[in-house]
Amino acid sequence: MINLEFIINMISLGSLYAMLALGLVIIYGILRLVNFAYGELIMIGGYTMFLLAGFTPLPWLVVAVLAVLAAMFTSLFTELVAFRPVREKSLTAMLITSFAVSTLLQNAALLIISPRARAVTLPQIFQTSVMIAGTSVPWRNILTIFTSLVMLALLTLLLRRTVLGIALRAAADNFTMTRMLGVPANTVISAAFAISGIMAGIVSIFWIGRSATVTPTIGAPPLLVAFVATVIGGMRSLTGAVVGGFVYATIISLLGVLLPPDLLEFREAFMFAFVIIILLFRPQGLISGKTSEERVG
Amino acid sequence: MLELNDIHARYGAITALRGVSITVSQGELVALLGVNGAGKSTTLACIAGVLPPWQGSILFESGSIVGKSPEQIARLGISLVPEGRDIFPSLTVEENLRLGAYTRSEKTEYQRNLDEIFDLFPVLKERLQQSGGTLSGGEQQQLAIARALMSRPRLLMLDEPSLGLAPALVDQIFELIARLHQRGVTILLVEQNVHRTLEIVDRVYLMNTGLIESQGTPQQLRTYADIEGIYMGVRRQGNT
Amino acid sequence: MNLIARLKPLNTPLTLVAGVLVVALLAQLAGISLITRIITVMFVSLMLVLGLQLYMGNSGILNFAHIGFMGIGAYTSVLFSMTPEAKVLTNSDLYPFLVPLHLPFLPSLLIGGLVAAVLAAVISYPLMRLSDAAAVITTFAVLVMIHVVLLHWDRVTNGPRTLFGVDNYTTLWTSVVFAVITTFAVYLFKESRIGLRLRASRDDRYAAASIGINMVMMRWLAFMASAFIAGVGGGLWAHFITSFTPYSFYLTETFVILVMLVIGGPYSVSGAVVGTLIVTAAREVLRAIENYVNILQVFPEGFFGFTEVVLAIVLILILVYRPTGIMGSHELRWIQKQPKVKENEALKNSGKV
Repeated sequence: MINLEFIINMISLGSLYAMLALGLVIIYGILRLVNFAYGELIMIGGYTMFLLAGFTPLPWLVVAVLAVLAAMFTSLFTELVAFRPVREKSLTAMLITSFAVSTLLQNAALLIISPRARAVTLPQIFQTSVMIAGTSVPWRNILTIFTSLVMLALLTLLLRRTVLGIALRAAADNFTMTRMLGVPANTVISAAFAISGIMAGIVSIFWIGRSATVTPTIGAPPLLVAFVATVIGGMRSLTGAVVGGFVYATIISLLGVLLPPDLLEFREAFMFAFVIIILLFRPQGLISGKTSEERVG
Repeated sequence: MLELNDIHARYGAITALRGVSITVSQGELVALLGVNGAGKSTTLACIAGVLPPWQGSILFESGSIVGKSPEQIARLGISLVPEGRDIFPSLTVEENLRLGAYTRSEKTEYQRNLDEIFDLFPVLKERLQQSGGTLSGGEQQQLAIARALMSRPRLLMLDEPSLGLAPALVDQIFELIARLHQRGVTILLVEQNVHRTLEIVDRVYLMNTGLIESQGTPQQLRTYADIEGIYMGVRRQGNT
Repeated sequence: MNLIARLKPLNTPLTLVAGVLVVALLAQLAGISLITRIITVMFVSLMLVLGLQLYMGNSGILNFAHIGFMGIGAYTSVLFSMTPEAKVLTNSDLYPFLVPLHLPFLPSLLIGGLVAAVLAAVISYPLMRLSDAAAVITTFAVLVMIHVVLLHWDRVTNGPRTLFGVDNYTTLWTSVVFAVITTFAVYLFKESRIGLRLRASRDDRYAAASIGINMVMMRWLAFMASAFIAGVGGGLWAHFITSFTPYSFYLTETFVILVMLVIGGPYSVSGAVVGTLIVTAAREVLRAIENYVNILQVFPEGFFGFTEVVLAIVLILILVYRPTGIMGSHELRWIQKQPKVKENEALKNSGKV
């Protein structure tokens, strides 16, 4: 049933997916790297929350901030240790490396913590709702929308008003030329990975806020969403990422109400079929950047 | 100021430079001439740190710069305006210039530099907030050079600045280069427009298939070198 | 033309097959069932790795969906090879029209491969026109989609529950035969016109297009061939392991196959073979360590994931220090070719992966 509750849900999901996609595209735009380990950053955020909220008396806001920081530092660490040495080699090598890092992190969690799902203590606010225009809206959804708006504003500010932001956008246009102006490659790349990590960390808060559990493989579903959303959106522009996120959320929410009950569990498969159709007509995605991804055929 | 000694460079298996030696002194306007594929752009790429030579030395103000990264070389004061301009299409003119000044940290200096740039390139002031991708070819070329100048380079390298421009604009560009030279900017110019280049430069190197074929002042070259031969592939009778 | 001259162009696959046969003979002679099992699985894995090499080595695009098609082949082949009684026993919910289907082993395998190939053809065609990065991402999505379908289509696959009772048709020599055939097939593909054209367009898309190579079509054909091999390989595996779930065809297996290919060298058929051998051996050792530690009960939650962590680290190291894998782009030959001019070496060592 498509009512106010459904719409707010959908917008909340869209905001979440938009942030998710942004974190992925910001690295892709500069390095042409599809970071498979991106999903694992969400896992790291989740396990940080599990450990800190479950075993320390820290207030939840602090836990959340630390989870975001954990994701950010993991992102920076993987760049330093795994991606930087392969950067000069080739795109394929980087891609495989990111898959290797992803597997490494997943299995490290398996090894160090446990294969079993762990319950994450969530703050009270994630379980309460508020009445808006006659419908009960979970606070969680409102917070998601609010946070994503704030993050989008901050990111826009960074990219448009600061020298670092200008350098990031320039690097996405032409990385070599940016270096020839004296901008250190490592600074730009680390900044991109940091932003990516922050996005993942924030997404992890709200993603786990829905299920209240964390497992070593919790990174795969959001990774898939990020992938599909960016491909829909067109891979090159941040706008595309946001649009892709919302399109994904819209389609999957609609599928949730339109599909007959026995087909509901195949929602993702239908979603993907839909995406394939979109790609059939627009392989470059919905939003073409100033310099679009090259079409092949 | 700049000294290249016996530079050998290659792209994968293809040898591009087979022993190139050139010098550029402070305040000079030196040109590298030659046909496509002679190795002119490659030479600039080596200097800029984009393509490391596998043999030979490059000294800039007595310090070796071989093996340094492009950003390190930029910070030493070498600015390259590549062939094709390479301005950032999704950044505005102002942002392009702002990035050009990356190596300069002084805020007041930035504004002063900007004013000087507007002096030289009034059209950029008009288009300050426009995105680079919407500029015309000539305007983009001006932006590329202006951006390079924002860093107050000790050595300015220009790769085929007149390429693809309408004749009137070509005039403008060469006038600009001459004016910069007058102001004391040290310039290494790569060009295919032999005629105009010889009018404004101090010295010329003539390159062919990865080597320096001849060098000298424009006078000397006109008299002694077979420029035509190199460009047309036909040798004059009885010439080096 | 005498026999030797005829066989010369097949130098590489013959050498590889010789190696395979030697290993198989040794395993047979050893007589220990554990070793036989390991080697049998190794040859099935080899088939899968070769299938991946066919696509990835020639087109340069990572195909994450490969193991998904293995799964499709596995489930399809058992639907045909199992007796109706066995099928109903393991999956009481099975669609009635699927129950009476019964074919011998070989046709079942081939149908498994065909279904995988057809599905690959349908799903992948729109994806062939995507840019390289988008193409890789979507193959990952295909893997997940296949997994979702296998996991939830209870009436065909028995859902997340184990599908058991499959006949153990895959013996050591069965897997050897298939591995040998696949080695030849993949090598011949590489040297065929399609393979050549695909590699040309991998190296320079525009130059290839300008001489009339239809890259989309080439990619598509290679993808289908690769999926067929994966499907048959899946069937072989299913009839070895005799019981499985959809979780056997997901990320971990994808990772293992990828490790085998990349460590060996993705750009040569020999790389696939060498990589499979080495990684299988390494895995067994690592797993033994894992089991040993588990028995000692050092870790309360169990010692899992050690194998994968080590393999991942090794993979990263290979990518950093030798990205073209152990074989580089070289193929094994019985008598090594005389090294040509220095130019060739420079080309190969230019570091391009």
